[in-house]
Amino acid sequence: MSGSKEEEKVPGRSTSLPMSRVKLIMKSSPDVSHINQDALFLTTKATELFVQHLAQYSFRKGCGGESNALGYSDLAKAAEESEPFHFLTDILPKKILARDYLRSLEERSEDSD
Amino acid sequence: MASSSGNDDDLTIPRAAINKMIKETLPNVRVANDARELVVNCCTEFIHLISSEANEICNKSEKKTISPEHVINALESLGFGSYIAEVKDVLQECKTVALKRRKASSRLENLGIPEEELLRQQQELFAKARQQQAELAQQEWLQMQQAAQQAQLAAASASAAQQAGSSQEEDEEDDV
Repeated sequence: MSGSKEEEKVPGRSTSLPMSRVKLIMKSSPDVSHINQDALFLTTKATELFVQHLAQYSFRKGCGGESNALGYSDLAKAAEESEPFHFLTDILPKKILARDYLRSLEERSEDSD
Repeated sequence: MASSSGNDDDLTIPRAAINKMIKETLPNVRVANDARELVVNCCTEFIHLISSEANEICNKSEKKTISPEHVINALESLGFGSYIAEVKDVLQECKTVALKRRKASSRLENLGIPEEELLRQQQELFAKARQQQAELAQQEWLQMQQAAQQAQLAAASASAAQQAGSSQEEDEEDDV
C-alpha cells in the first residue's frame, strides 16, 4: 500500500491512513499554514477513530441490526441524530420524498407571505 | 490514482485504506459501495473541520504552527473529546519509543565500551557480511552453471533424437 512506507521514517509512527495525504487535505483548508509533525499525527489518529466511530455508530443505530449491512441511509441518519456528526449533514443529506420536499417548499412560501 | 487535475478539493483519503478500516471495524458486515464512498468524503470533511478549528485556536494563541495542544482543544470543542484520551496515549507511546531510541544511541556512546572494541565488533560484522555475500554469489554461480549444463544436455539429446528419427532405427545407448 503506497504511503505506508513513508510513515515509518519515524519509528513507532504507523498509521492506517497516510499522513502525507492527511497533510495535503489539511493544507487545502484556507489559512492553514504550518502544522507540527505531532499535531499531524494526532489529526491522523483522530480521523481513524472518527471512521471507526462513524461506522460503528451508524451500524448500531441503523437498520443494520436486521440485515447486517451498512448503507447510505444509516450514515445519513447518524449525521442527523448525533450532534458531533451534524457537520456531515451537508454532504449526507437525508433523502426525502419529492412530494414531502415540495410540500415543505409550499409551506415556506406561505409563511413568507 | 493520478491527481493530474491538481484541484485541491478532490483530495481524499485513499479508498483502499478506508475499506480496510471499515472491514476491521465491522467484520462480516456488507457495506454498500456508495456508503464507502460517503465515508471517504466524511473523512475529508472531518479533517477540514479539525484543521480549521485547530487553526483558529492556533491564531488566537499567536503561534505560527498548529501544535498538538491546538488539535486536542479543537477535538474537545467540536464534541470529539472522547477521542482525546486515546490519541494522547498513542502519541505518548511514540514519544517513549523515540526517546528510548535516542537513549539507546547515546547509551552506546556512554557505555564505556572502548572505541577499539566497538571497531573490532564492527569489523567482525563486516567480515561476516562479506562472507555471506560471497557464499551467496557462489551459490548463484553454481546454480547458473547447473542450469547451463542442463540446457546443453537437453539440446544435445534433442538433436540426437532428431538424427535417430531421420535415419534408420539404431540401438540407442542409455546415456545418463
